[in-house]
Amino acid sequence: MNNFLALFLTLQWQDIVDILLVSYIVFRLYILLRGTNVFRVLIGIAFLWVFHRIAVSLGLIVTSWAIQGIMAVAALIIIVVFRNEIRSVLQAKNVKALLWGYPRKTAETPVDIIVESAYELAQSRSGALIVLPGKEDLQEVLHSGIPWGGSVSKEMILSIFWHDNPVHDGAAVIKGDQVEEVGAVLPLSHRKDLPSYYGTRHRAAAGLAEASDALVIVVSEERGDVTVALGSRMKVIKRKEDLARMLRKHAGVSSKQGGYLSRQRLELGIAALASVVFITGVWFIFARGLDTLITFETPVEYMNRDPAIEISDTSVNAVRLHLSGSDALIKSIRPEQVKVRLDLSRSVVGPNTFSIAQKNISLPPGVFLKKVEPSSVTVILDHVKRKEVPVQIDWAGKLPEGLILSEARLDPEKIELIGGQKMLENISTVYTEQVSLSTIQKSGTMTVKLVLDPASLKISPSSRDKVTIEYMVTRRAR
Amino acid sequence: MAMRPKLLAFLCGLFCVNVFLPWGALSQEKGERATAPASQQLSLAQAVMCEEIKDHAPHNQAIVFSVTNGSTSCFTSFDPVPEKTYIYHDWFYRDKLTTRIKLFLRPPRWSTFSRIQLREADKGPWRVEITDRKGALLCIVRFSITD
Repeated sequence: MNNFLALFLTLQWQDIVDILLVSYIVFRLYILLRGTNVFRVLIGIAFLWVFHRIAVSLGLIVTSWAIQGIMAVAALIIIVVFRNEIRSVLQAKNVKALLWGYPRKTAETPVDIIVESAYELAQSRSGALIVLPGKEDLQEVLHSGIPWGGSVSKEMILSIFWHDNPVHDGAAVIKGDQVEEVGAVLPLSHRKDLPSYYGTRHRAAAGLAEASDALVIVVSEERGDVTVALGSRMKVIKRKEDLARMLRKHAGVSSKQGGYLSRQRLELGIAALASVVFITGVWFIFARGLDTLITFETPVEYMNRDPAIEISDTSVNAVRLHLSGSDALIKSIRPEQVKVRLDLSRSVVGPNTFSIAQKNISLPPGVFLKKVEPSSVTVILDHVKRKEVPVQIDWAGKLPEGLILSEARLDPEKIELIGGQKMLENISTVYTEQVSLSTIQKSGTMTVKLVLDPASLKISPSSRDKVTIEYMVTRRAR
Repeated sequence: MAMRPKLLAFLCGLFCVNVFLPWGALSQEKGERATAPASQQLSLAQAVMCEEIKDHAPHNQAIVFSVTNGSTSCFTSFDPVPEKTYIYHDWFYRDKLTTRIKLFLRPPRWSTFSRIQLREADKGPWRVEITDRKGALLCIVRFSITD
């Protein structure tokens, strides 16, 4: 228990933000995808991952490989198979809905109106096929539906299935309190065990119920009975109350409004809590796992240098940091996350020795410094000066046979360099980049760059960083 | 008397042996034996790089020499030479002094040269700084050794 508390006491603010952010992302995914097949598959993948970790820890090599392969394929399958559901989640909602909005209670299905209409149609021996979708997307299984978009009313339903209505043979799809589509063609069931007196309408209802989680109401034209198809079951419903109860159960509508809302809040609360607990667990596995030690070579950065002073030399360019932390954190370190900075604000011209302490090193959260090599750095600083030096061409290659490069003029002949005083004292010439002779056939001009060595030298803004060469070629005398 | 300048040139050539690779040589223009007035200053008339010295004159003057040539020479000509003196040819590979050659001059005019043997490692930019006996820089000649 003490160890557990000690772990929590070592948490930094970044760790808490880290956990909360990822928990919120997981929670949002749950909000957006709950009830869809994608969510169920994601849960399946999460379980696979847990099994994979267990298999790895137990040393079950082939099992862990197999699970890893299944997980990789599953990610692809989700995108391909459930592309419509993912698209509907992402397209139908704006950014606010994606990041913040909570699902409002969908318009309540007018169960009583549907029940009344079904039995009135049955009484008048009018055939009808009413589809009440569940949570699955029916786009792939429904065909040829005509968009309707009208509010559900008894008169509306009766008129849709009126004998002379061109769409009366198809199915009406009711979502919430709206008739979304009419005249829809449903997939037929190929079951052998259905009663022989079932016609196409009943087989279509059974076919859709088998292929999805939709509830389908069938009104028989011949017998005047009302049948409900749900899953693999087909049941004749004699009483209106029974049908109403089935529809309410299917639509998730409680007879008491308050009860539904409180259940919804409870579900979201549990989901939020589960997200935080799950991510905290994952975080502790990753961030507080077994300690790993690595050596990280990091360049030393110098800050707050007086512009009139320049770094002419350093004892080392990089230091080796011995770092420790969990295996996952250590493996995920990026070079830009580790920095060694030295403050030159109090340094003077000449050699300055700095000890590298914890305050000079920035590390990602959860990673700790064990040792620095070398523990000190000597930086030699010099006054910044200007010096004008001649330019010389660095010819390379071979001139074509029989030719002589007799003369070359440079423009400019000299350039001004800026650099440390001691560095400039040792420099008497600036050379151009290598200029190839092999392509030269006759006199001409060319422009070439200058090479600064050491690279810390700079060309004065008043000088050009390129020179123009005008060269003369003559024939070799015998 | 007509033979004396050639004899002098021969004797001067003997001075121009270099410990390392190069060796110096001197020559004097024919028939010039008169001593220049002491009030005049030593003046460099010509300083060039060439492949070789032929007939006391630079042959195939250039600024780029192939290492396959085997050697390269720095030819300098002084007019006037007020008194017997000497100069230096300092050969620099990049900014590093590799060879210093002392060359003697005689009034009234004098031409002399120094030479280095070329090796593969000598490829790159070179310069020869010509200085007087007091170290005053008279001229810089720049050239390159290439393939």
